[in-house]
Amino acid sequence: MNRVRRNKTAIILFIIPTLILFCTIIIVPIFMDVYYSFFKWNGMTAPEFIGADNYIELFSSKAMGFPRTIKNAFILAGLSVFIQLPISLFMAIVLARGVKWEKFFVALFFTPVLISTVVIGQLWLKMYNPQYGIINSFLRLVGLDNLCRTWLGDGRTALPAVFVPILWQYIGYHMLLLYAGVKSIPEELNEAAKIDGANSWQIARLITIPNLKPTLQVCTIFAITGSLKAFDLIYVLTGGGPAHASEVPSTLMVDMIFGRSRYGIGSTIAVFIIFLCFFFAVLIKKVFKTEVD
Amino acid sequence: MKAKKLTAIFMAAAMTISMTACGSTETPAATEAPATDSTGTDTAAETTAADGETTLTMWTIATESDAFHEPYLKAIADYEEAHPGVKIKMDTFENESYKTKIKSAVAANELPDIFFTWAGGFSADFIATGEVLPLSDYYDAYKDQISEAALANATYDGTLYGSVTNTPVSLMFYNKKIFDANGLKVPETLDELKDVCGKLKAAGVTPIATSVKDTWVFNMLGDGLTLKSAGPDATAKAITRQGVTYGGEDFLPAAQALVDLRDAGAFIDGATGLSNDEACQEFYQGNAAIYFTGSWMSGSIATDAPTPEDFDCAPIPVINPANAKLTDFMGGGSDTLMVSAATENKDLAAQAAFEITRDVSKYSFTSGAGIPAWKVDYDADVSPMTQKIADYCTNASSFTLWFDTLMTSEDAGVYLDLMQQLYVGDITPEEFDDAMNTQLGN
Repeated sequence: MNRVRRNKTAIILFIIPTLILFCTIIIVPIFMDVYYSFFKWNGMTAPEFIGADNYIELFSSKAMGFPRTIKNAFILAGLSVFIQLPISLFMAIVLARGVKWEKFFVALFFTPVLISTVVIGQLWLKMYNPQYGIINSFLRLVGLDNLCRTWLGDGRTALPAVFVPILWQYIGYHMLLLYAGVKSIPEELNEAAKIDGANSWQIARLITIPNLKPTLQVCTIFAITGSLKAFDLIYVLTGGGPAHASEVPSTLMVDMIFGRSRYGIGSTIAVFIIFLCFFFAVLIKKVFKTEVD
Repeated sequence: MKAKKLTAIFMAAAMTISMTACGSTETPAATEAPATDSTGTDTAAETTAADGETTLTMWTIATESDAFHEPYLKAIADYEEAHPGVKIKMDTFENESYKTKIKSAVAANELPDIFFTWAGGFSADFIATGEVLPLSDYYDAYKDQISEAALANATYDGTLYGSVTNTPVSLMFYNKKIFDANGLKVPETLDELKDVCGKLKAAGVTPIATSVKDTWVFNMLGDGLTLKSAGPDATAKAITRQGVTYGGEDFLPAAQALVDLRDAGAFIDGATGLSNDEACQEFYQGNAAIYFTGSWMSGSIATDAPTPEDFDCAPIPVINPANAKLTDFMGGGSDTLMVSAATENKDLAAQAAFEITRDVSKYSFTSGAGIPAWKVDYDADVSPMTQKIADYCTNASSFTLWFDTLMTSEDAGVYLDLMQQLYVGDITPEEFDDAMNTQLGN
């Protein structure tokens, strides 16, 4: 093994296939994307160079409302970190502690991640249906008719209504990551704490969570970058509507490119999504590092 | 340390990029024409088999659940019988995803021999690329069977680029039973429509079912009212940037009428959250009395409504009789077959485009799915409602193509957006007209 590692030719030989794939699938498209963001282009006829106009329009056009989509994405990111992750963490710790039917529950909570997002979207569409949806039906049954809403069609409720399924779907995903993390903490640490008289809460707070830091960091990066590029469920549930109330950068991008044949401005939005994801990935690294120090 | 940083960047890149996979969700429901052997490949190029048989590839949106599926299959069978040695291989796609698919195909210059598209502004960009075959030279052979007027939307700068199947129009569908039960007369003016809605509301019936989520449905009413307020000439010129201002006393009453109807509670609860299918169901089940949509609904009523005999249709009411008549219609020939300029069999493909649209026109009329754009030189035994719509079309004083088809796709996107904002109350009718003018460069 060591001999292989010292052999430069072998290293290059093993890295090259992945490097080529990585460059052609990821690096090259990013640069092309940046390139196209300087053009007015309908995807078919010859592009027209317009400098930074797309960037100016993106932030100045009230009709397009790009700043609002960024705000929505940040709200989702905030909810993911401060609501979704704590729930996942709690469930992971409880399950890893060893409850009855532990394996069954782990699998159960993970199923939403496995189901196709479009199917989940259809399920929630039916639940939110203003006429026969289970949510409004239940509210009517218990006499809370005044709380009935057109959940996905009302500008005030559309955003929370699409966020709930997104948060719900990936709780299981983060739970699985954290569950594996908890399981990998040496049992001796827990036993030692127990001998010293620590209760469950103290063990969780002082032993489990500090040891979970690396996993939590990965989860936070996933949660935030996932929120910034959230697309599928929103597209299925509202398509960004009504009147942009639940629009996020990626749904706006799709609307610009495929709805209005504006590839240039679509590329500009993509540049921002990429930039934000990089920015937050690096930022989170930094935050967790200072925490450790 | 360095390696760690690199890993972080690598991971971030990997996560960022995973979203590019989201763009293409269309699932092509490839459908083979019955008589076609399945040797055809997915490529646009036709395959010439050893026995000299030519296969033409055709893309349409006539999926199996579509009312045009059968007419297309029959038309293809007829064509293949009339032209031994030529096979048509039809691939079908879902309507919305097809719009993305066809644009991508044009961008990549990978059009099939024959393809379905919407004439008007939607296809203007395609024509500009030079990837579409001009059909003017082939039209002579068919000019006795289809008029130039019917092909007007597929004609760009005097050159014909496609052949149309039928001429759908926007109509007001209504539930006769509910109207009779409440002693209501079919409205012919906006005031009468408001009056009808008020009475229905008072009787506890939802007046109008529509979908603002699928904004095109709501626009069937919006486009129609604009036409009935500003008149066909001003409407078409305003939305195609020909120097007519979108606004003033010609246009404002249309946007105002939508807001008035909304404020009077004329639209179904939760219209912003309902899809077209869901809203249609409410209408078919008799929970709402009126539905504004395209003439294709007459075909759907026959198959999807529990009591088809309860339904009838009428033209969209008039707002300003000085500008528009009851017989002015939104709609017209837009469902078009075009031919790729890159096809290896230009003559055959052009001929097929004309003959298949002609036969689809015929078979969709007899099945009740569409109003023919081609001359009816055969006996057609159709339902009373289909016959009524055909008569409307024959006696129409004008046809104006739907806004989102007639406008360029960029303008259309903004229009759909503004209509939604108008409905939810983010903008007033005045602001709506101003925003339209800004977009249309006035």
